[in-house]
Amino acid sequence: MSLIENRFEDNLLTTKVDWLINWARLSSIWPMTFGLACCAIEMMAVGAAHHDLDRFGAGAFRATPRQADLMIVAGTVNFKMAERIKRLYDQMPFPKYVMAMGACATGGGPYYKYGYTVVKGVDRVVPVDVYIAGCPPRPEALMEGLMKLQDKIRNSSVIRKPARPA
Amino acid sequence: MDFQGIYDRLRAVDAPGLTGCDLPRDADPEDKKDKGRAGDAFVLVDPAQWTQFLRVCRDDERLGFEQLVDLTATDPGKDDENFWVNAQLLSLRHKHRLAVKALLPKGAATIASATAVYRAAQWHERECGEMFGITFAGHPDPRNILLPDDWAGYPLRKDYEFPKEYHGISCE
Repeated sequence: MSLIENRFEDNLLTTKVDWLINWARLSSIWPMTFGLACCAIEMMAVGAAHHDLDRFGAGAFRATPRQADLMIVAGTVNFKMAERIKRLYDQMPFPKYVMAMGACATGGGPYYKYGYTVVKGVDRVVPVDVYIAGCPPRPEALMEGLMKLQDKIRNSSVIRKPARPA
Repeated sequence: MDFQGIYDRLRAVDAPGLTGCDLPRDADPEDKKDKGRAGDAFVLVDPAQWTQFLRVCRDDERLGFEQLVDLTATDPGKDDENFWVNAQLLSLRHKHRLAVKALLPKGAATIASATAVYRAAQWHERECGEMFGITFAGHPDPRNILLPDDWAGYPLRKDYEFPKEYHGISCE
C-alpha cells in the first residue's frame, strides 16, 4: 500500500475487493429461524440478550430461507425432516453456510445405534461448514463455531485468478 | 377402589371378554432364574371382545373409567407368539386406575379399534399400527402418525431389521 499511501485526499479509503466483500459477508451472517430439538433451546439462548449473537451481526434470525445466509442445524435430524432440510437448503441464496450444532446433527449422537429413523449426520443431506461438539453445546461453543465460520469467510476469495496458461 | 375391588366389580357385572388377571409378584427365593414380576396389576381381556369390555368399563357406574390415559402395545420377545395391547384407564370421579391387557397373536394381529368408546385412542392406535403392524379394525384414520408414509417395516417389533438406506440417504 505504500505506493499509494498519502497520495489521495482525506476520506478516501483504499482496500482490496476481496477484503471488503468478505468483511460485509462475515459481519452479517443471518441465520434461519429453524430448530429441531434441545440444541435449539441453546441457540435461542445465544440469540437472546445475555449472549447476544447480534454482536457478530448474526442475530437477525430470518423466518424464510430466501433471506438467510446460515442454516444452523440445531438438533436431531430424522429421515422425515431430512428431505425438508434439503429443500430449505436449496431455497437459500448463495453464498450459504451450514452449521451442524451438537452431537445429533454431527453424527447421530445418542441415536446412532438404535435410532431407526435418525440420520447419522446432517452432512449426508447437505454440505456442512462447521461442526460444533456438545450435547447440547454451551452457548459459548455456538459462538466459537460462528467465529470459525467467520474465519472461513475471511479467508475465502471472491475473485479468482485465471488459471495460468500452460 | 383398589385393584381387587375393580376386579371383583368386573366379575360381578360379568364384563365381556374378561379372562383373568395378572398380578405382580416377588421372585421365588428357591429359583434363581425367577425374577418375579414388577409393575402394574393387569386385567386380561379376550381381544375379540376388546371394545365391548372397554365400553363396560366406561359406562358402569361403579367403575366409571371416563378417560383412556394410554394405549400401547408390547412385543415381549422374538419367541413369544403374542403381542400385548395395553390400555390404561382412569376414573377421575372414583380416583382409581386400571391397566388392561389383551394378548394378540402375532400371526393375526388385528383388534377392533377403541375409538368408538374412547376418542383419545385414535392417535395411540395410529402409533401402535405403524410401530407394531397391528391393524385396528374400524379406525377412522389409519395413516402413519410419526413415520413417513412410505416407511417399510415395523420398528418396535423385536425381529425388526434396520433399513440400509432411505431415499438415497445411507443408514450405515
